[in-house]
Amino acid sequence: MRLQQKDLMMPNTPEALFSQAHTGANGNTPGRAVKLSIDGVSHAFDDNLVLDNVSLDIAPGEFVCVLGASGCGKSTLFNAVSGLLPITKGSIRLDGEDIVGKPGNVGYMLQKDLLLPWLTALDNIVLGASLTRGATQDDRLRATALATHYGLGAHLNNYPTTLSGGMRQRIALMRTITAGRDLMLLDEPFGALDSQTRLSMQQWLLQVWAETGRTIMFVTHDVDEAIFLADRIVVLLPRPGRIGRILNVDLKRPRDVSCMTSSTFISLKAEALDLLYR
Amino acid sequence: MSLIRSIFIHPVVKSMGSWSVAMLMLLGLWQAIVSVFHVPAFVIPSPVATISALFQNEVMIRGLLWQTFKETLAGYLVGAAVGVLLAVVMSQLPGLGRLLYPALVTSQAIPIVGIAAPLVIIFGFGMTPKLIIVAWIVFFPVVVNMMDGLAHIDRDQINLARLLGATRLRTFLYIRLPACLGPLFSGLKIGASYAVTGAVIGEWTASSKMGLGTYLLAANAQMNSVGVYGAMLLMTLIGIGSFAMLLLLEYIAMPWRHRATSPWRRAPHL
Repeated sequence: MRLQQKDLMMPNTPEALFSQAHTGANGNTPGRAVKLSIDGVSHAFDDNLVLDNVSLDIAPGEFVCVLGASGCGKSTLFNAVSGLLPITKGSIRLDGEDIVGKPGNVGYMLQKDLLLPWLTALDNIVLGASLTRGATQDDRLRATALATHYGLGAHLNNYPTTLSGGMRQRIALMRTITAGRDLMLLDEPFGALDSQTRLSMQQWLLQVWAETGRTIMFVTHDVDEAIFLADRIVVLLPRPGRIGRILNVDLKRPRDVSCMTSSTFISLKAEALDLLYR
Repeated sequence: MSLIRSIFIHPVVKSMGSWSVAMLMLLGLWQAIVSVFHVPAFVIPSPVATISALFQNEVMIRGLLWQTFKETLAGYLVGAAVGVLLAVVMSQLPGLGRLLYPALVTSQAIPIVGIAAPLVIIFGFGMTPKLIIVAWIVFFPVVVNMMDGLAHIDRDQINLARLLGATRLRTFLYIRLPACLGPLFSGLKIGASYAVTGAVIGEWTASSKMGLGTYLLAANAQMNSVGVYGAMLLMTLIGIGSFAMLLLLEYIAMPWRHRATSPWRRAPHL
């Protein structure tokens, strides 16, 4: 009996861990299917226009980085897509459905890991289930299998305060994945980490993304990070926040650190820096 | 060897040790003052005399102690429950909260002895008025501290819950409640140290049964100094005991403050 259950719960392939994952979505065919559609979004706080007519379509399974200096409305755009911020003008659709002002449709992760100190790492990972319908033993088994696959198995009974910053962000990402949303918004999730940890986290994120087939919208002000991770980079310009240009990143996957010194990488970096600082 | 060592460095054991030492030092100071200044026994009896007098009347004292302890505990439980309930309701319904808050402050501005008299007129002698007086004192620090805790919950944690599609009740159970346990226990501890005072005031104004408070009055009227000090010592003991009990409960209720892993939540085996 124990063994049967174990076989059920421990799939051999990582793909089998994600029942709701898209299949073959990493092929990047923007322009065809649309996961997220941002159309003519503007937002003003009082009289201060922070987002000006932003339009962007994201394909299923695509990895899009939103790159911009501080004050360019990155976080406002994210809060709008998450549903936390009702926008002044425009529409945001997820799978064709209007999600303006409706939180709970997309996964969300911030620079602050927001792990609850009174829950163990595992209980933090299954928080989405706990907060909506109550986490079942099945949820806990799945989460344990997922976390173990991504190298967190030894820390699942730990309280978050006893874990390192990188480990905490991994747990937070597992929480976001376990919540089961197709689209995940990541707002500078590695911003508080040291550069070595950050690089290993980026590679880890790419692995998780490739295996889970989720769609990712990733905010950063780090040009290298954006190029290393993204299929496309949306460069936002400040005051008011607007799209400056969308850059296609034609680096083949899977990517490793060596691609950061390739000529494609360097020329993209030059282009992005020119847009940001001219 | 290492087991014995680990027992002695356990924070609860260490804390019990330091409490015992502090109590003994206070008793020692009391004894020293009496001995050094040759204070007559009818003014301040020595701790040795006081404690031995308690043991001479052991049967009676035991009854008094039990009576006062019962009043303190019952009143404390009611007061704590009322405090927690009020804090939850007032924080969930801010409009009602703003209306009730001044009323709560007013309740504490009335001298407690002033409340005791009308309570006797309304409820007569017996357990009820005493219970109300204790609860009256206890609920206030509980409600104020817990509301403070509930008001200062991390906004981002609540947003996270909303983004995960949380229900209101579950957000309360998983986030708001555990987040305010620290302030709640502060309120409960303050309440615990005041509760005995409430029970004694209750006994003075509304007693039909002999408790430590009534005994203290009687002993005082009879110039029975060892009786007065003995009653005082036992009341103090109830107060300290309640406080220590809450420290222990606090320790058990918030394992994440002193442990790396959960004592009861375990990840399933794959």
